[in-house]
Amino acid sequence: MTTRHKTQLAETLKTGRPVPPDKPNILKTLLTVQSTLGHVPANVISQIAQVLGVTDAQVAGVLSYYPDLRTQSPGRHLIRVCTGESCTANHGGLVLRAIQDCVRNVIGDSAQSERFTVERMSCAGNCAVSPTVMIDGDFCGRVSPSDVSSLLERYR
Amino acid sequence: MTTTRCYLANDTSSRAAGAERLAEAWSGRPEIQLIRTSSRGAFFLEPMVERDTPKGREAWFNVAPDDLPLIVGGVGGTPVAEIPFLQQQTRFTFANFGMTEPLALDEYQSRGGLKGLAAARSLSPEAIVEELRISRLRGRGGAAFPVWKKWQVAQQTKSEQKYVVANADEGDAGTYCDRMIMEGDPFRLIEGMFICARAIGATRGYIYCRYEYPAAARAMRFAIQKAREEDLLDCDDYPFDLEVVIGAGSYVCGEETALLESLEGRRGVVLAKPPYPAESGLYGKPTIVSNVLTFATIPSILARGGAWHASLGTEDSRGTMALQLGGRVKQPGLVEIPFGLTLRDVLDRFGGGMAPGSRFKAVQVGGPLGSLFPESKLDIPVCYDAFAKAGAILGHGGIVAYDDETNMVELARHFMAFTADESCGKCTPCRIGSVRGREILEHIQAGEGTAESLNLLRELGETMKATSLCALGGRASYPVLTAMEHFPNEFRSKLSAFSSQQ
Repeated sequence: MTTRHKTQLAETLKTGRPVPPDKPNILKTLLTVQSTLGHVPANVISQIAQVLGVTDAQVAGVLSYYPDLRTQSPGRHLIRVCTGESCTANHGGLVLRAIQDCVRNVIGDSAQSERFTVERMSCAGNCAVSPTVMIDGDFCGRVSPSDVSSLLERYR
Repeated sequence: MTTTRCYLANDTSSRAAGAERLAEAWSGRPEIQLIRTSSRGAFFLEPMVERDTPKGREAWFNVAPDDLPLIVGGVGGTPVAEIPFLQQQTRFTFANFGMTEPLALDEYQSRGGLKGLAAARSLSPEAIVEELRISRLRGRGGAAFPVWKKWQVAQQTKSEQKYVVANADEGDAGTYCDRMIMEGDPFRLIEGMFICARAIGATRGYIYCRYEYPAAARAMRFAIQKAREEDLLDCDDYPFDLEVVIGAGSYVCGEETALLESLEGRRGVVLAKPPYPAESGLYGKPTIVSNVLTFATIPSILARGGAWHASLGTEDSRGTMALQLGGRVKQPGLVEIPFGLTLRDVLDRFGGGMAPGSRFKAVQVGGPLGSLFPESKLDIPVCYDAFAKAGAILGHGGIVAYDDETNMVELARHFMAFTADESCGKCTPCRIGSVRGREILEHIQAGEGTAESLNLLRELGETMKATSLCALGGRASYPVLTAMEHFPNEFRSKLSAFSSQQ
């Protein structure tokens, strides 16, 4: 963690400290940490546990349970491909493959290896305009494999 | 130059379909003023642009930036009232969609909003519950439990603190009506939750919104703030505080006990019931957990009376249902109609048949745990009773059509893998059964399965049905077993050559 991250974390945790009668909320705190740092590094578990007055195991348990909490920093651009039923029926699998191919070409260049993270996601709730791809929080609908390279061009 | 007032939807799906591209391309153009509304839910027509005419709104479909002169010139538009997809619907909960700016409270009110709350204010808590009993409203999230019974238990349980929780963890694949409500008509959800709070005596409410719906969470937070400023949540010395809480991608958190665990910040693990949340829920206090769609239905019921609601639909399924069409249908979108139309009619009249070039193979109703229906089973009326009789679920109203390119073995594997990924791990049948189920299907896919594999899968499915703690494990085998039942040859043809000779 950089010094900047450490300061940010300390600031975040200051607001996370529960004021009685409020009870500590581990998930809420982890989501706040993630929105500040981009992920929740495993080495901050103890610090969080201490502030909340819970055990390390409780924090680690919550952190490992939820798919949207990440312990690794994602690439600069996070691409999430929906694998819900509507997207699957509309050949979302081919879109995922096209994105993986396209990104492999980019990250074949080691200097660019941290540029993209590609993930599957469960239903994005965008079923009426599927297949869906989410890039850095923006939804793209009716994506076909042939759209992929122009879609990613903006993020190269 | 005159400026033409036009309407363009601003919800996630419309933007994903290109509405944002239009807004960007036309920003600063003096000939047009864009009002960003909710979407009508006819997503196959999005991006759709509308303008006022003396005879009502006219619409242009699947608009590209270059179509601006046509719209400004009034050339080639279709009267919205003549769009068959919308014309054939009976909209109450979704009546405002496409008409209003989601965050304009005055527009919500001018179209009948807050009338339910006004009616509730003149009623005693017992009378509100009685109105719901008369309405025969059942929960729209999936379990279809009579809403009034829950409310009565929470009302009669004595406690200094009670809670109202909206389940906005809309994880069922193929469903999006909760997202539409939160993004498109947020005050309706607030009104419904507030009526519930008055009926049971709750002073705090939470909207548990999934991580994947950032725009919905933003809209809800803004609407709550506005409601607070307008003293909407603080009338008759009855303070009610409402907060949006974000989940973190766990499907099982849509189950009410897991949701409450997650709301308290823990792992979203399912708990054994009883006690039911209505008696002992969030922090051990009486809590009503209902789906967003359920709460959004309540204002109309209070405004029009329970008897009005009971007059719609079928014997055991009163009112209207928001069906969400997706997959390979030609016209995906939101359909609000009274219960009772057959699945075939829903697919034909609203879905418009299959997408060009594809042929129908099966349809799945009720999300990833819903049964598959082949062509021969489509004459089933869409209502809780008929679906229960067929061993299927209506769930949250998601309808996904699959075409003839669909590989049923792969689809079955997909469903089991989903449950294996999402199982909370609390009960053994779901935690281990789903993994074994996935392995058996992978085995079959690899051509290594035998007739015994299919028997094992069936037996496993029945065990999971009978012994799982919640619907995730209990229903996980339904899509798999119905796939095997209706498309047996696809499974048999994958078995190893050795076994087929047996």
